Amino acid sequence: MTRIAVAILALVLSACDRLPEIYPPPEQRQPQALTPDPYAMMVEMNDPDAAQHIVKDIYEPFGSPWRWTGKQPTVKVLVYATDNVKLSADFAIWDDGFKQTGPLELSFSVNGHSLDKVKYATPGYKHFEKPVLAEWLSADTESTISVDVDKLYVSPQDGAKFGIILTRIGFLR
Amino acid sequence: MHAAWTVLAILFGWLFTVATAWALGTLLLRKLSLVFYFWEERLFAFLVGAALLSAIVFALCAAHLAWKPLFLVLGLAIIFYALRMGAHHPRGDLFTPLPRRWRWVFLAVFGTFTVLYFINALEPESSPDGMAYHLGVVAKYQRTHGFPRITTDIYASLSEGIELLFLWAFEYGRHSAAALVHYAFFIALIFLILSYARRIGRPGAGVAAALFTYASPVVGLDGTVAYIDVGITAVLFALFYLLQIWDQDRNPQLLLPIGILAGFSYAVKYTAFIAVPYALCFIAWKSWRARKPILRPILVVSLLALAFILPWMVKSWIEVANPFSPFANRIFPNPYVHISFEDTYRKFMRVYALTSYWQIPWQVTVRGDLTTGLIGPLFLLTPIALLALRFREGRQLLLAGLIFGAPYLTNVGTRFLIPAVPFVSLSLALALCSLEWLLLVLVAVQAIGCWPYVVQRYCSPAAWRLVEVFPKAALRIQPEEAYLQDNLGYDLARMIERSVPSDAKVFTFSQPGTAYTSRQILVGYEGAFNELLQDILWTPMFRDFQPTRILTFQFSPRELRKVRVVQTASVPEGQWSVAELRVFAGGQELPRDPGWRLTAHPNPWDIQLAFDNSAVTRWRSWQPPQPGMYLEIDFPGDQKLDSVVVESSSDSSAAKIKLDGLAGDGKWATIAAAPVESIRLSRMSLRQAATAELKARGIRYVLITDDNIGANDYRSYAKLWGMKCVAQQGVARLYYIE
Repeated sequence: MTRIAVAILALVLSACDRLPEIYPPPEQRQPQALTPDPYAMMVEMNDPDAAQHIVKDIYEPFGSPWRWTGKQPTVKVLVYATDNVKLSADFAIWDDGFKQTGPLELSFSVNGHSLDKVKYATPGYKHFEKPVLAEWLSADTESTISVDVDKLYVSPQDGAKFGIILTRIGFLR
Repeated sequence: MHAAWTVLAILFGWLFTVATAWALGTLLLRKLSLVFYFWEERLFAFLVGAALLSAIVFALCAAHLAWKPLFLVLGLAIIFYALRMGAHHPRGDLFTPLPRRWRWVFLAVFGTFTVLYFINALEPESSPDGMAYHLGVVAKYQRTHGFPRITTDIYASLSEGIELLFLWAFEYGRHSAAALVHYAFFIALIFLILSYARRIGRPGAGVAAALFTYASPVVGLDGTVAYIDVGITAVLFALFYLLQIWDQDRNPQLLLPIGILAGFSYAVKYTAFIAVPYALCFIAWKSWRARKPILRPILVVSLLALAFILPWMVKSWIEVANPFSPFANRIFPNPYVHISFEDTYRKFMRVYALTSYWQIPWQVTVRGDLTTGLIGPLFLLTPIALLALRFREGRQLLLAGLIFGAPYLTNVGTRFLIPAVPFVSLSLALALCSLEWLLLVLVAVQAIGCWPYVVQRYCSPAAWRLVEVFPKAALRIQPEEAYLQDNLGYDLARMIERSVPSDAKVFTFSQPGTAYTSRQILVGYEGAFNELLQDILWTPMFRDFQPTRILTFQFSPRELRKVRVVQTASVPEGQWSVAELRVFAGGQELPRDPGWRLTAHPNPWDIQLAFDNSAVTRWRSWQPPQPGMYLEIDFPGDQKLDSVVVESSSDSSAAKIKLDGLAGDGKWATIAAAPVESIRLSRMSLRQAATAELKARGIRYVLITDDNIGANDYRSYAKLWGMKCVAQQGVARLYYIE
């Protein structure tokens, strides 16, 4: 009986290893090695979740990979780093609309800071890209990008107003 | 045909469990030559047998022998042996028949509610806690044929006496069989109340009390799902009942079932531990009053109770280094449950959503939303139960009700009042027993007022209660999947089951119906490891969590053997945290040497988080800062240093630190009394770093529901998190870390 009790006691005690309380330094993380998807900061207008980023003046896509904008299309985007970041936008100026509006001037701004004003004298596909100062950005809160279109196309049928045809907008690094 | 087999399997699992328990109990009671009334014997046999069967299942689980065929062989052997020993032959006298009027009242009300309750118990299990953990752990034990070591689920560390009976039934009839086992305890409780009242010569009061309890909305719902509150109430009432019989008979053999049930109370639910001191004090007091020996009966009961309590303590001690886990973490510090969790949990359970304790009477009897359920308006008459003090039995009932209801002070959920309900019911009925017409009126009021259709007219719409029952779902004419499809917990579980490989782990902030998935689920608050993952995922979104506070200790160069960053403030709330601790010499950071020995007090197990060069992980005290807490580096030899930098976050800015050093002379000395503080905002998003940490810990799936903190962030910036959405179900999205 005593032998059984001793055996059980030994078994129980052997099951209760004391947890270590002293450790060596662990493997070191290399945060620079993390490279997110280069397009992670771009808002694609055909992305099902694009509406999450749209603040105002960007219309529903109606099945197309692009969207019409209003006077001041605005999106919010989070950057994964604040340095070496460029604002990038792909859009088009509609030929028929251009006949009514003539050359358009677009003002690009980030978090209320004016980044650039560009005059487009021809219709068709356009690409805009320009570096953004790191001080304007924050890595843990969303940044607001807005594009101000100086003249809008007014539909003769219903009086609806349109700015540009936006495909994608956001930041690249 | 499939539906019929499913229902038969459920009924078999239920009846097989009840029959095995009853057979075991009858064998013991007969062996002890205990003589009860006919019905008493059957009821005590079931409850004592349940304790014995639970202990057997515990042993089988501990030995990883919890196999269905073994259960079947063992159960059948027990039942056949009991039958062979004549267990089915009646023994004991019958009670005097119930007065005719009371018999019909009982049959009418009990029968009507039984139809409702039986259907509810037979329906596919959809109760929140039943799906989440009462059956969640049972399903794990069933898959692994024993106790797997679970360190990431606080619920798996609780005592699970009734859950092990669920396991016995679950093997055959799955979830609904388990709910029916709980319902068997409910039925036993009702007949125990009735029997006790008949024993003391108050059959009318017994019928009234049994029906007050049976109709109570929270008791009715709880007792017909896979919970354990009504089960523990039945055990406690049986213990009370046996003690009363022992007080009359002084039969020492009664001490055995008393000890078993006292120990089983703890084995069913920690809060019922109070049954042990109650039984011991009762026996000691009564023995002392009768000038009989005290020590022997106390020893018998204590040893038997310990036999049922100790296995659970040992299990928790071996698995999570704390015999009382998830509580008592200050006494038994361990890496599996944080003290901060325990503090928060206790604090919440004491108030729920109440703004004043004066809300409790109305909430627990009538409204039921802030305290999750209602016992019924009749219990507003509880003060009248004090009139029962004029009877000896009334005094005993009220004392027991007070003691078994005492744990309510630690958890103000209505469910925690259930152990007191039968005692209050019977006291109330005794108090009014001389006014039979009034008792009949009260039974009618309780029965009608607690019928689901009527309850909804006065309770809060959010009250936890039985709303309606679905016979087609109960009989599986409506398939289980169809019935449960609008249940979020079930939907999440099935989505996980479909989309996640069998060996993968899923982290989530919300509790899915774990009982319906075989995948390992890590719920944010359910363990220290889970809380660490939660902290990692929140850090990129909250600047307060990020290591933006740079605390620099600059000093003249000196050789040190050890350095300690010591916390000096006493802060009642919050925590102290250190994201990185760096040491410098000559303006250069010293690379972390494998020869360094790192430790911390408290929480030494997380010390590496302050030395991993990751901005999303941090060592945390996981309890309010106290003077003397420290982080320490022990160098392999004397190390020349001239500065130490602590990277911390603004959510622990109340903590104050100093730097101590141990020089070659072996003496500790303060090197710098306070650091210079500067702010350095992160120029990089920490999102991908966070998911990389989860990946490094073997977590590839994250389940987010729309009500989770940051749900929109994960959705809008899945790419920045390095994740992609692989499944969606209503308000929930399942992400895969790429």
